[in-house]
Amino acid sequence: MIIVTGASRGLGRAICDRLIEKGLPVFGLARNVEGLPFPAMACDVGNHDEVKAVARDLRKQKAEVTGLLNVAGVAAMNLAVTTPQSTTEKVIRINLLGTIYCCQALAPLMMRGPGGSIVNFSTIAVALGLKGESIYVASKAGVEGFSRSFAREMADFNIRVNCIAPGPIDTALLRGISGDQIGKIVTQQIIQKQFTPDAVCDTVELLLDPRSAAVTGAVLNIGGA
Amino acid sequence: MSDIKAQIFEIIADLVEADDVVISDDTALLGDGSVLDSMKVVTLCIALEDMAADLDFDFDWTSDAAMSRSRSMFRTAGALVAEFLNQQQAAA
Repeated sequence: MIIVTGASRGLGRAICDRLIEKGLPVFGLARNVEGLPFPAMACDVGNHDEVKAVARDLRKQKAEVTGLLNVAGVAAMNLAVTTPQSTTEKVIRINLLGTIYCCQALAPLMMRGPGGSIVNFSTIAVALGLKGESIYVASKAGVEGFSRSFAREMADFNIRVNCIAPGPIDTALLRGISGDQIGKIVTQQIIQKQFTPDAVCDTVELLLDPRSAAVTGAVLNIGGA
Repeated sequence: MSDIKAQIFEIIADLVEADDVVISDDTALLGDGSVLDSMKVVTLCIALEDMAADLDFDFDWTSDAAMSRSRSMFRTAGALVAEFLNQQQAAA
């Protein structure tokens, strides 16, 4: 199975739908899994105990895990000096700690099998150093650093670890951000256009495919940076 | 030697892959003079997790105590067996 965090909406949901369309077995994690049309479990990825409970449950089921997609995330578009402490902590907890917790608890399920692919989600804002996103960028830069190092730790277990760093993809995460602001970011990408979730889904498929067996420790910027 | 201790020592011995190493309570698992590299320690942990599941309890190898330098369960084979048995007893 392929575990997808943040599976109930946005990019996570789009990725689940794509993988199911391709006939792949998906297991979703999200805070609210009510009504999801695929197997899923409620879990706040920023809560260490809840993530460990999921791992314990899947281990008891003897689940064969070959993929882990850490998509769950929150954005914060504020100048650092005007960002409330609670927002800072929430962004770091969900984006960075959530990714770390899921990798720590769920990678051992993959180690039991033939290996697989872990895809963590960053943002193109890390490479671009975008103004007004410093807390968000800090959390995602942490994800990139963690992923590069974790890739080395997992290599002996035939597990690849990569990051996808999307630009401003048209999802609920961008709600409240003006078209003008999105345009300013897009013009800093190498390919100056706003991509749809399909571009991210294509890249996820690429990283899950055994034909990318030589790719690990990489950050793939959607749109280029 | 208890059955569980013998099983854990056997798992460690299999991971060491050297005929001249005898596993005892004092065998170092991490740090100076250790018989396992870090990846083999992880493999050992997974094996213990499976063994614990068969014994109907959860073996937690990521607790703060597990990685504490002075009290680490990985400092010796004997310490690891003791922690495994402690966790089994606590779950009973």
